[in-house]
Amino acid sequence: MTSASERSYTRRDTVMFLVCLGLSVVGLFSPANWGLGVADALRETVLAPLVWLQARAEEGRTSRVRLRTVTAERDSAAYVAQGIPSLLAENEHLRQLLALSHRLSTPYVAAEVLHQAQATDSRTLLLSAGSIQGIAPFDPVVAPEGLIGVVLSVARRTSVVMTWAHPEFRVSAFTVTGNASGVVAPSASAITSVDGALEFRGVPYRDSVPPGTLVLSSGLGGVYPKGIPVGTVTGVMREQEGWERVYRLRAAANPGAAAHVLILVTPPNADLARAFPSDSEVLAMRRDSIAKVRRADSLAWAAELARVARADSVAAVRKDTATRKPARPPVRPDSARVSAPKPPAPTTRPDSVRPAAPKPATESKPAAPTTRTDTARPKPAKPPSAAPNPLTGRSAPADTTR
Amino acid sequence: MTTARANRLQLAVVMAVLVLLHFYIRPRLWSPRVSPDFLLIALMLYAMRSGPGAGALAGFLVGLTEDALTPAQFGAGALAHTVVGYLAAWGRAVFFADNLLVNAAFVAVGLWLRDFILLISSGTDERQLLVELTLYSPLQALTTALFTLLVLLAFRQWFAIRLDA
Repeated sequence: MTSASERSYTRRDTVMFLVCLGLSVVGLFSPANWGLGVADALRETVLAPLVWLQARAEEGRTSRVRLRTVTAERDSAAYVAQGIPSLLAENEHLRQLLALSHRLSTPYVAAEVLHQAQATDSRTLLLSAGSIQGIAPFDPVVAPEGLIGVVLSVARRTSVVMTWAHPEFRVSAFTVTGNASGVVAPSASAITSVDGALEFRGVPYRDSVPPGTLVLSSGLGGVYPKGIPVGTVTGVMREQEGWERVYRLRAAANPGAAAHVLILVTPPNADLARAFPSDSEVLAMRRDSIAKVRRADSLAWAAELARVARADSVAAVRKDTATRKPARPPVRPDSARVSAPKPPAPTTRPDSVRPAAPKPATESKPAAPTTRTDTARPKPAKPPSAAPNPLTGRSAPADTTR
Repeated sequence: MTTARANRLQLAVVMAVLVLLHFYIRPRLWSPRVSPDFLLIALMLYAMRSGPGAGALAGFLVGLTEDALTPAQFGAGALAHTVVGYLAAWGRAVFFADNLLVNAAFVAVGLWLRDFILLISSGTDERQLLVELTLYSPLQALTTALFTLLVLLAFRQWFAIRLDA
């Protein structure tokens, strides 16, 4: 038989348990904004020393353990960076040719990931940077390997990231080859934390994406910048006949193993209009583009005409040459002359004193050395090929190949 | 100083050490998913030495802390830790867990139960639930139990654990 004190003790325990249970259920079914607000408030007040302590621990771990890796990455990045100026110049030149605006530069804030021991740690990450560092909700978070997620809520010194493992995560993406685009979302049938954990949905059935293709963020939607690696295609997950294919992706970055991330912050008072030209600029660029296209077309047309004319000329010459070739003597007199060894110091060309010259009148012009004397040679007997061309009905023109 | 007050002071010191270990040493250990959960060790040791109501309240506070630091589904951690704290206090009364290994096993079971309730209440899909409960949770339970043994050995005089088992 239990005493009154034991019964009250048990009743008090039960009441306390039920109250705690009820509060937990209320928190569980409350709107997400309420929960995030309470979490932010707790992190900024009661838990601030503990968060600070963990941030120092993470910094110490990353600064020691990852020193060699970071050094190697920095060296390789420095080597790659040597070619960046030329790539930037080339990119700028190409963007000008395409009448595109200047590429936006995105500032970033580095932060440590404060991993927790809970099983749901990979869905949301706690970062050691907050609104003081300029972080705002919906800022994208990336690791050196690729996309991690997006900032969900921000406190003063901490922020919470919704990673790609969160069921509500979505990012518009396209393949690096540019032949397919769709939406990347976490897979409901993920087996491990990284391999095959993402789905590339909405790819048209006609667009085949081979395994190994890199998938990047497309920039659509305005949250994630274009070009962040999201994952690599590992195969087809499922397909709807004639409509779409869903590909399995191996995520580029693992939130569970990330220790150091970059938050691509939106600069304060950022004017995104500078990335988009105004209407007048668009009109001017369009006219300029049209003029460039017309100019290029006219140049291309002129070049084509010149090429056709040249081809016709060469064809005509070849035709004439081919027609005359059978009647041509095997060795032309002057070519035989050219091939003959020259005397040591010829003052006059040998053929100029040829005795067989039938026209002595030309011989009476020795005072004009600039005139080739052989041009005044008597014409040889007209070969049979000099007959009128059966095709054109005209006489063959003089041999211009000489 | 009375014995009860001394015991409370000793327990508070152990709890403080475990909190420091959780936030300063655990990040320097292995993967966060399998590294020991010192907060759960503190909760279990406290709940086993107090009443069910106090255990439930302590579990609620620990869960609220975890929810604030990992708000994947706010309230899920509080719910899981409340249940685990309450059951740990009742289990101590049922199993008379003065044995060192039984205490460590008790903590391991508590961690697995915590993960089970947490994953269920936060809406985890079946495959991931299976992987978590059959792979990661047992690993973390093992490491947590090992560190529970170390803590109990280090503070065996304060916790009055019989080591002849």
